[in-house]
Amino acid sequence: MRIGAILRLIPDPGGELEIAEDGKDLDREWIDLKLNEFDDHALEEALLLKESSGATLTAIAIAGDGVDRMLQTALARGADGTLKIANVSGAALSSRAAAPLFAAAVRHLGCDIVLTGVQTSAEIHGQLAPFLGALLGWPHASAVNGISIDSGAIVARQEFGGGVAAALRIALPVVIGVQTASQPIRYISGTKLRQAMGEKIETIEVEPAAAEEPVELLRLSVPENSSSAVMLTGDATEIADRLIALMAERGLMKA
Amino acid sequence: MGDILIHIETRNGKPQPVAQELLGAARSLAAAVGGEVEALVIGADAKALAPALRAADRVLGVAHPGLEQYVPEAHAAVLSSVVRDRNPALTLLAYSSVGLDLAPNLAIRTGRPLIAYCTKMAVADGLLEATSLIYGGKLHATSRAPLPVVAAVVPGAYPEAKAPADRVPEIVTLAPPAALSEVRSVFAGETLPPAGAIDLTQAQKILCVGRGIGDKDSIAVAREVAGALGAEIAGSRPVIDNGWLPKERQVGKSGIKVAPMLYLAVGVSGAPEHLEGMSGAELIIAVNSDAAAPIFAVAHYGATCDLFDLLPALGKRLAERQNT
Amino acid sequence: MLANTVILWVLFLGAVGLSGWRFRRLLRPLCGAAPVRRFDRPGERIRGVLRAVGLHERLLKVPYSGLLHALIFSGFVILLSAIVQAFGSGLFPGFTLRPIGGDTWIALLQDVFAVAIVVGLAMAAWQRYVRKPARFRGSNVFDASVIYVLILTVVVSMLLEAACRIRTGGGMTAWRPVSDSIAALLGVAGLSRSGAQIGTQIMYWTHICGVLGFLIYIPGSKHRHMFLAAPNIYFRSLAPKGMLPRRAPEQVFGGAVAGGGLTWKDMLDGFACTECGRCQAVCPAHAAGLPLSPKLLITGLRDHVIASSRHEVERPLADGAIAAATLWACTTCRACMEACPVHIEHIPKIVDMRRYLVEQGKLEPMLQEALSSLQRAGNSMGKPERMRARWTKDLPFKIKDARADPVDILWFVGDFASYDPRVQRITRKVAKLLEAAGVDFGILYDAEQNSGNDVRRVGEEGLFDMLARHNIDVLAACSFRRIMTTDPHSLNALGQEYRMFGAEYEVLHYSALLLELIESGRLRIHPRSGGIATYHDPCYLGRYNGGFDAPRRLIERAGYRLHEMGRCRENSFCCGAGGGRIWSDDSGVTERPSENRIREALALGDVRYFVVACPKDNVMYTAAVQSLGVENRIEVRDLADLVEPAPATLEPHRAPSRSPASPLAERSERSPSV
Repeated sequence: MRIGAILRLIPDPGGELEIAEDGKDLDREWIDLKLNEFDDHALEEALLLKESSGATLTAIAIAGDGVDRMLQTALARGADGTLKIANVSGAALSSRAAAPLFAAAVRHLGCDIVLTGVQTSAEIHGQLAPFLGALLGWPHASAVNGISIDSGAIVARQEFGGGVAAALRIALPVVIGVQTASQPIRYISGTKLRQAMGEKIETIEVEPAAAEEPVELLRLSVPENSSSAVMLTGDATEIADRLIALMAERGLMKA
Repeated sequence: MGDILIHIETRNGKPQPVAQELLGAARSLAAAVGGEVEALVIGADAKALAPALRAADRVLGVAHPGLEQYVPEAHAAVLSSVVRDRNPALTLLAYSSVGLDLAPNLAIRTGRPLIAYCTKMAVADGLLEATSLIYGGKLHATSRAPLPVVAAVVPGAYPEAKAPADRVPEIVTLAPPAALSEVRSVFAGETLPPAGAIDLTQAQKILCVGRGIGDKDSIAVAREVAGALGAEIAGSRPVIDNGWLPKERQVGKSGIKVAPMLYLAVGVSGAPEHLEGMSGAELIIAVNSDAAAPIFAVAHYGATCDLFDLLPALGKRLAERQNT
Repeated sequence: MLANTVILWVLFLGAVGLSGWRFRRLLRPLCGAAPVRRFDRPGERIRGVLRAVGLHERLLKVPYSGLLHALIFSGFVILLSAIVQAFGSGLFPGFTLRPIGGDTWIALLQDVFAVAIVVGLAMAAWQRYVRKPARFRGSNVFDASVIYVLILTVVVSMLLEAACRIRTGGGMTAWRPVSDSIAALLGVAGLSRSGAQIGTQIMYWTHICGVLGFLIYIPGSKHRHMFLAAPNIYFRSLAPKGMLPRRAPEQVFGGAVAGGGLTWKDMLDGFACTECGRCQAVCPAHAAGLPLSPKLLITGLRDHVIASSRHEVERPLADGAIAAATLWACTTCRACMEACPVHIEHIPKIVDMRRYLVEQGKLEPMLQEALSSLQRAGNSMGKPERMRARWTKDLPFKIKDARADPVDILWFVGDFASYDPRVQRITRKVAKLLEAAGVDFGILYDAEQNSGNDVRRVGEEGLFDMLARHNIDVLAACSFRRIMTTDPHSLNALGQEYRMFGAEYEVLHYSALLLELIESGRLRIHPRSGGIATYHDPCYLGRYNGGFDAPRRLIERAGYRLHEMGRCRENSFCCGAGGGRIWSDDSGVTERPSENRIREALALGDVRYFVVACPKDNVMYTAAVQSLGVENRIEVRDLADLVEPAPATLEPHRAPSRSPASPLAERSERSPSV
């Protein structure tokens, strides 16, 4: 059985968010890229599945800055192999635009289970896992907090919030958007990381190339009043009224 | 010109509260889109739900034993089949776990653009322009796509629809698509939260008290206000250290990280370790008698009045609202 | 008489044999243990032993205990002659010490020091049974009691024997005043001459049996330190304090003992421990209520070695015999190692066991997050690498990029000074001071990564290697004369730890540099008109690297009066953040060490300023003052806060009308609460 874990690097504002000159992207001067938190969980869940079932695990990513290091870390954590997909266009791809590349990689590897993070903080035009499900014609489930393998199928625990969850039994092959791994992510020691840093990561090209993103991003903007607090004045009752009005405006006044 | 189709998420045969917001959104856009509002109910009894969904012009129902519980593959198949058949100009979903499953899948299967995490939408000249939350809500992104389009809306963004009590929408039963028989996912059981357990990360509204609250007894006042707001009570580290609240209610670096829609911080100074635990909250309101408290740097609104004046005033006003 | 001799020989050989066998069994694990080089520099080693044992250097730091030990110890040394006398004359009839003064000055010394021992024992007993100091908690009271009884038996029987001998008419009384007095008392009590003869015999054999019994008892008792302390001190580490030993991966221990992990010196440390608890008394983690007692750690290790040599071990050492929480509680402040009278090395053992846990992946979530952040971005705060030098953004001048241009002073800024808003303020101040003094300095911008000092102490040797090699490579491409840092932990790593990679730098703390600048006149300061300050010695600047004086001179030069806390200089009490603790969950802490320390400062009565010289101290003590709610009584100030540049030297490019206001402008930068 083959498992594929799709890993993506996303901008890590580290708390600071500034908009670039053209208004369409973050100012990247002070920003690092880091592995999407949910993809990290997806990788951990994939490793756990690999360890319990003996499947082979391949970490998949699209080429870019820092991707080699990310894939080497996946190897250090226990992935059997990596697949780095060439990004012919060179531009940053939305999940929808990248989905065909990942779908092609998945077919190339012959994966039975594909795991990726349920979302990234910048996926305003749709999430990768359901996109892949549609492209591959496979069943999918998002917001999954635990997976187990059961003879040709998986049982996935899908969370709905408020502590409500449902178990789904899905015959392979399947795409899952992982929210949290079944166990906390295990630490990988510096010694193991250093060993993996010597691994060479090959790049392959896949057909088809990326798709077009049909939605146009016009601009990024800072929400009003978030640069510093709007200070309310008046006595306690007046302020209380103002607060209630603020909350009502945002639909927060229902019990 | 075209209709608006709303996907209504149901649980135990009842629509989720967010359905009313989607109906409200649809009603506000119906004129611009130039058509009618249809509400799609999958796996639940359309006739029984029609009164609740009366803000729509039409309620569509697809019933099948395999649809009664939510199964992504099955519901996605039905949704895309209905959208292909009815060809709405705008399809609306709520961005919950279910919406997250269905919207992108639907978008590719029906070849439609998708704009997600919407808080504001406007339709003009055959285009949808929407504002979405991005980077944990710290920024807004404005996108545009030509109709027909799919949009997924953030709960709490739109007011609920108001429709006269006697309004009766048309009810249409649709046949389940043939593709349902090929579905290879099966519902295998449900778990519900244990009674009494508190998970702050799930709370949509949090009232957090800091050291300024002073002592354990004053927490009672805060608790009342929290209850009236429908919020969970939480504490910053000094409050938990002093034993005024239990550890599972600690917000901060060594407590819990939360990102609720409302975070009301009362008497919290805003040390970096605390901010780490809550700076992702959508609406942060801070009350602290020290105008230089760092919490005001992340708060959206603030007040320097004495919390021992404000909390009772807030409680009183909330009680009055409740009674009207 | 012959029968006596034979019996004595049998007893003697039996006791020596039994004791020897017990010692051998105890010390055999040392033979199979991992090697360590401790046979070099014998002169220095011996001098250390003489200072420790002869001068009771560390023992006298607790005066009462030091005194009582000195009494008993010197008594033992002198009474060795009595043992020689007793056994010699018994085993070899005719043997006597008379020719060298056995009946004269030796006898006098024996009498006097016998009393000394008894006095010492009384003091010890009072302390152990009445005063019961907290450091004895967890120590073996039964063992201590047995030792007191045995020593008392030996000494009293010796005195009584001499007294009885005097009663029988033999023995020079002038040289034995004490025994003589006892003899007089015995006479008053009605002891006849024949009774005294019997008494002499009884007391002699009691004395013999006491000594032999003691000999047999010692290997299983903490009193083995009699024999093991001097060797343990001799074989102590002579490496610089700030350098942790390097171990090959297969030598990392924590699992089975016999697996080549513990060195023979580690085991000897365990056996030499006297359970005195001084380490426990100075340990900040212990004071905070965390489950670490350095004493119990060492005795636990010792017991594990013993059990394992008897093949009685079921669980591993780390996270088994010694709880993981115990190992993670340590701040590596080194107070325990400074306090230990037999020079036991606690910290390398803790770090080695941590290394074991790290390789297993057994880390608590917060620590894991910090280490992951370090792996990913070279800092522990989860901030982007690129943001490291963002603190420079609002400075009125551009700091040189040491990667591109040669500099005189390369400023290694450090994580907290770069990223933490509370400390960035100080970093900017220091930059302005250096600029005002015309120093040719530069920083590494975002090529700098965490120096790795605390990463190493957390046991993540692999990550430490990565960080160190990275920093060394970056520094190798730069041209500078000296490195300066405001962070004592970085100071230690750069100055001590990096030597193992062949990188030797001249590293100085900013207190030394600022003092240098002031004393040479390059930085003119405007001394304040007073105010009483107390200074907290950072562990890695003071205890580890001997930097006590420069900050103090600086404080006085800045116009403040210094009022020292009791626990100052080498005895400074750690803020609780080192050794990775600042990256750990502090649930389970009953009183934060930082709050304990602030209370100590407040107890001085007149201190207004709590002066710190380390970014972590700054963060910890500011938080402590806040959570104690004493902001109106004491203020935390960094050294950089105290140094007020004289207006003429500050920003010479500024328009003249600004200059008198500049001290006020500096002050408004301070945010009153965090």
